[in-house]
Amino acid sequence: MLATRVFSLVGKRAISTSVCVRAHGSVVKSEDYALPSYVDRRDYPLPDVAHVRHLSASQKALKEKEKASWSSLSMDEKVELYRIQFKESFAEMNRGSNEWKTVVGAAMFFIGFTAILIILEKRYVYGPLPHTFDKEWVAMQTKRMLDLKVNPVDGLASKWDYDKKEWKK
Amino acid sequence: MATPAQLGLQNATSPIMEELIAFHDHALMIIFLISSLVLYIISLMLTTKLTHTSTMNAQEIEMIWTILPAIILIMIALPSLRILYMTDEFNKPYLTLKAIGHQWYWSYEYSDYEDLAFDSYITPTYFLEPGEFRLLEVDNRTTLPMEADIRMLITSQDVLHSWAVPSLGVKTDAIPGRLNQAMLASMRPGLFYGQCSEICGSNHSFMPIVLEFIYFQDFEVWASYLYIV
Repeated sequence: MLATRVFSLVGKRAISTSVCVRAHGSVVKSEDYALPSYVDRRDYPLPDVAHVRHLSASQKALKEKEKASWSSLSMDEKVELYRIQFKESFAEMNRGSNEWKTVVGAAMFFIGFTAILIILEKRYVYGPLPHTFDKEWVAMQTKRMLDLKVNPVDGLASKWDYDKKEWKK
Repeated sequence: MATPAQLGLQNATSPIMEELIAFHDHALMIIFLISSLVLYIISLMLTTKLTHTSTMNAQEIEMIWTILPAIILIMIALPSLRILYMTDEFNKPYLTLKAIGHQWYWSYEYSDYEDLAFDSYITPTYFLEPGEFRLLEVDNRTTLPMEADIRMLITSQDVLHSWAVPSLGVKTDAIPGRLNQAMLASMRPGLFYGQCSEICGSNHSFMPIVLEFIYFQDFEVWASYLYIV
């Protein structure tokens, strides 16, 4: 019993690690993390290594051509050289996402679910309010508070005109 | 007493409470200023595209954000201590009243001239007179003269309680085996409500305090109607 629980704990960690590896395109193996790596970061514009490590034959030829004057390079060749060096451009790495819609939607869903629970609670679980919440009682209570001059400086009694016997306008 | 959904302090009935309200306004304004400054700075930090990763030292700003909070704290401490010492001022009380906390009611003793004492239980909701306040009314109110310094001696007969009347600015713990002194003075006649302010068991919410401040002449008439318990 205990053994299977321990195994499932280890098993879960192994599964999550392999998921992470798959998500990053098998680029990072666990023993690579101490070596210089490529990152797409706005605040680290020149990564430690190039994006493409193993050049094809045409890419090798292009790198040779790069050693000569750059004015002889075509636009496509310049873009190819950029893509050898970098995985995403700044525009691509800084792009926004639609994640906020998911977050807002999920938050509203749970708030709505909670509201349903509260409505059901009020309808089926709670007892009646005490009789002191009846409108007549509240009126008598308010009259008594005015007679007692409750909070006369800037509270309730200060809003009542005692001469005209009405609320101040 | 508080009006429904009241958020702020009740209006002052005693001079000390007036001082406390002014101090609360002062401290709260400082809190609002600091909080809005911090909120603004956070919003700036979250909405910038700029990055900066190479700060080594920042002596000038470190000086400012050490000295300035120290000054702000002093500006809060000085008025606070002033009021603290004000509550301990020597004054000659007209009357001494003992408030003793029990589970779950208060008892009051006026021992200056005769031994007058009574218990003060909450009026249950079912027994309220029309227009009375639920969970605040008591069967025997504590009657006191207005515009007089009153010495309160507060203790408990069993567990911890706390005798609190917000509009007078009083909250004093009732500790078994100990007498705590508080000074009361009301500038107005009327009824002033409070509730037990230290958890003391199942009916902690149901042992209120009602002070009835009346004119001097009427006070002695009232006291003569009490009998020895």
